[in-house]
Amino acid sequence: MESLLQHLERFSEVLAVSRTPHVSTWDPATVRRALQWARYLRHVHRRFGRHARIRTALERRLQNQWRQEGGSGPAAAPGLTNFQALGRCDLLLSLRLLQNRALGEAACHSLLQQLFPGPGVPGADEDTLQGRLARLARRRSAVHMLRLCGSRESPVLQEDALMKTQAELLLARLREAGRAAAAGPGGLLSSLWERVPHDNFLKVVAAALLLPPSSPRPRGEELEPGTPSTAGEGRRELVRWLLGRSDIMAAFCRRLPAGVLASVAGRHPELSRGYLGLLTDWGRQLRYDLQQGVWVGAEPQGVPWEELYGRFESLCRAPPPLKDEVLTALESWKAQDGGFQVRGLSVWTDLLLALGSGT
Amino acid sequence: MAQNSAGLSSDYQFWMQKLSVWDQASTLETQQDTCLHLPQFQEFLRQMYEALKEMDSNTVTERFPTIGQLLAKTCWNPFILAYDESQKILIWCLCCLINKEPRNSGDSKLNSWTRGLLSHILSAFRFDMKEVGLFTQGLGYAPADYYPGLLKNMVLSLVSELRENHLNGFNTQRRMAPERVRSLSRVCVPLVTLPDFEPLVLALLTCHGHEPQEVLWPEFFGAVNEAFLLKKISLPTSAIVCLWLRHLPSLEKAMLHLFEKLISSERNFLRRIECFMKDSLLPEAACHPAIFRIVDEMFRYALLETDGAPEVLATIQVFTWCFLEALGKEKKQLKFALKTYFPYASPSLVMVLLQHPKDIPQGLWHQSLKHISEKLREIVEDQTDGSYGGPFECWFLFIHFGGWADIAAEQLLMSEAEPPEAVLWLLAFSYRPRDGSQQRAQTMVEVKAVHGRLMKLLRSPALSARDLQAAAGESQAAAPRPSACGQLIRHLLLNFLLWAPGGHAIAREVITLMAHTDEITHEIASFLDQTLYRWDRLCMEAPASRKLARELLAELRGQV
Repeated sequence: MESLLQHLERFSEVLAVSRTPHVSTWDPATVRRALQWARYLRHVHRRFGRHARIRTALERRLQNQWRQEGGSGPAAAPGLTNFQALGRCDLLLSLRLLQNRALGEAACHSLLQQLFPGPGVPGADEDTLQGRLARLARRRSAVHMLRLCGSRESPVLQEDALMKTQAELLLARLREAGRAAAAGPGGLLSSLWERVPHDNFLKVVAAALLLPPSSPRPRGEELEPGTPSTAGEGRRELVRWLLGRSDIMAAFCRRLPAGVLASVAGRHPELSRGYLGLLTDWGRQLRYDLQQGVWVGAEPQGVPWEELYGRFESLCRAPPPLKDEVLTALESWKAQDGGFQVRGLSVWTDLLLALGSGT
Repeated sequence: MAQNSAGLSSDYQFWMQKLSVWDQASTLETQQDTCLHLPQFQEFLRQMYEALKEMDSNTVTERFPTIGQLLAKTCWNPFILAYDESQKILIWCLCCLINKEPRNSGDSKLNSWTRGLLSHILSAFRFDMKEVGLFTQGLGYAPADYYPGLLKNMVLSLVSELRENHLNGFNTQRRMAPERVRSLSRVCVPLVTLPDFEPLVLALLTCHGHEPQEVLWPEFFGAVNEAFLLKKISLPTSAIVCLWLRHLPSLEKAMLHLFEKLISSERNFLRRIECFMKDSLLPEAACHPAIFRIVDEMFRYALLETDGAPEVLATIQVFTWCFLEALGKEKKQLKFALKTYFPYASPSLVMVLLQHPKDIPQGLWHQSLKHISEKLREIVEDQTDGSYGGPFECWFLFIHFGGWADIAAEQLLMSEAEPPEAVLWLLAFSYRPRDGSQQRAQTMVEVKAVHGRLMKLLRSPALSARDLQAAAGESQAAAPRPSACGQLIRHLLLNFLLWAPGGHAIAREVITLMAHTDEITHEIASFLDQTLYRWDRLCMEAPASRKLARELLAELRGQV
């Protein structure tokens, strides 16, 4: 067991180095050895796939490694992050080496010879490294062609292929992080927030929250015996995290479109409360301009009336109980403000009037 | 090698030109043209690889100075990369260009450039948004990790769009523009054999949308059909039926493929034919009358072209059996009336032919034979009413259910009584459909005579091969018979050998005497194969006869 773990660590180092200019020192023998190790680990993956104890031990070691590396810098792309990745480790190594310009001529030649030995037994190619690399190239073309000729961005966020894929990946990682440590998912999300573009990230989070409950794991991960579908867990972690980080929650509610937020609020009641709270704050920042006859924000980056109205409108189009909740909240704020029926005195009155359900 | 290189050079020029025109296959015309040439180009790449692998990298650049250009242009054409094994062969070719020991900076540059191309083929597609790459990287995933999932989601999203398109016919907002569906079908052509694309291919085939004319690109159907025939894609029967209904040439190709398979395989093997037949999905698809009619038409044509070749007859019989089986299993509520399958036939004739002998007690078979014979005779001999097609159509219909003719021949020898006129007529018609009424009458007389003589031999204690020959009317000096009648007599003799108690002992001798040409040997083997097949289907017990038939068949097969 210990030797296995050592092997794993050594290979992870090799994998990390394979992206760096350090490979210029590699000779053909080194390349051959690296690929052999990868083959061995792939064999381990096949052999111990159903062996829970060994799998868990390996996975824990990998998680530890990743966490250490992950915190060290934004550009660090860790190699092996879970047990499943072992099944692809030869592929990962090969691609990194192929794309590394620093690899010497002789080493590169040796690499190519090993990766692409040429035609062998027809039909048996499927599972060889050569076959899998060819399939990857074929799939790449497929994605390219679908993108150019067929695929469009879907109007429904969680059905858009790119968003859906990213969301599935996120949920998968959260699941693993949750298994490794209790504080895992939160930490992962916070560190992600520091490293990746925010707009896309927020959309992915929304998509993940909106994926249908029976959403399967991303392809490539086999069904793990004994683990129920824990996508729901991943979503709960997301909610918890959002509620724990008010700055991110504010960004989430501000930057995403009204329709998306209405769906999210409908699905996740805890978030709907947070959302309504923010809307209240934003509403209270508006002042009535008597001369213009409109509500304006005190600050330039505050939420304008139109946007506020749009968000409430979306919420009111949602099915009950959300719709009723929102209307009740509006009524109660209106009452707190004095319950006026006249425009210009309470933003809540005006909103209700605009929404067509003021009494 | 030397002869190949001349051909290769001219091909090289041809493909170089083509690739330049195609460029990145971004226009409709270039896409269409590329798709039409994909298999040939792959073959060319294979030949190039065979040539290149024998040379070292320096020789390569000497022999094919523009090879780099050729391969680079190939790399930039996504349709080529997506097709079958082209990307793999391309990679092999590029590897041949890598110089193991670069002598100068020129060599190094070439290496570097080649490595760049290899990298490009295998690298992830760069989406317009960098954020996706950054996100997945941040999560610790490499493209190799998530590509299958991404492709699956892209396919799924398109499939649901197509399904909605199919269902929400009148909701024009959600409708998928026909041009987009068409371009999707174009994209699928090289990717039909990629398993990830199966749901999309299925959706394109089965979701029609609501346009009056065909929206999909014809080459798409061709590609799916090819893949299906070569077993590179697995689709449900309903999808194949959709394919054939929407694209007639595919159905024709499937039939031709079946014929080719049958020709190239061992002759006289009905079980094999049944296997091929079921495999082809044609009997199941033929439950749809339009398909049945076309298949039948092609059989009719084949029969006429081969002048009634026994192999074609056998195939038609097997097809009909499988078809009826499939029809019986059809769970569809709305079954088509029989008339739609056999529009030119007399309905009562069809009804009586469709009766499965298994459903009739053996003792009553002679009645069915009588019915069939009478109905057929009515139509064939009635000069005035041409509505049921005439003798050939009648005969063509009848041979679909050819088992009855075999049963007639067998039944003839089961009874010592004088054979009924109807059965004689049926046999004569079945073996010699083109005879005029006089000739037919003559045949009937001859058969009756042979029957009489054979029945007498039944009672004789010691049978010899000579006796049988004499009974058949053959003598050393006699002129050779007209072939089909000879066939009928031979079949009667064979039946006798199988059923008469004394027949087993002399069987081999008789067959040796009969089989004086290869042709006839084949015919006898066919007969035995067909008989055994029929006994199996009808669950007829006849252990001694079966054993003999099987042994004889094995011996004959060993000879040929």
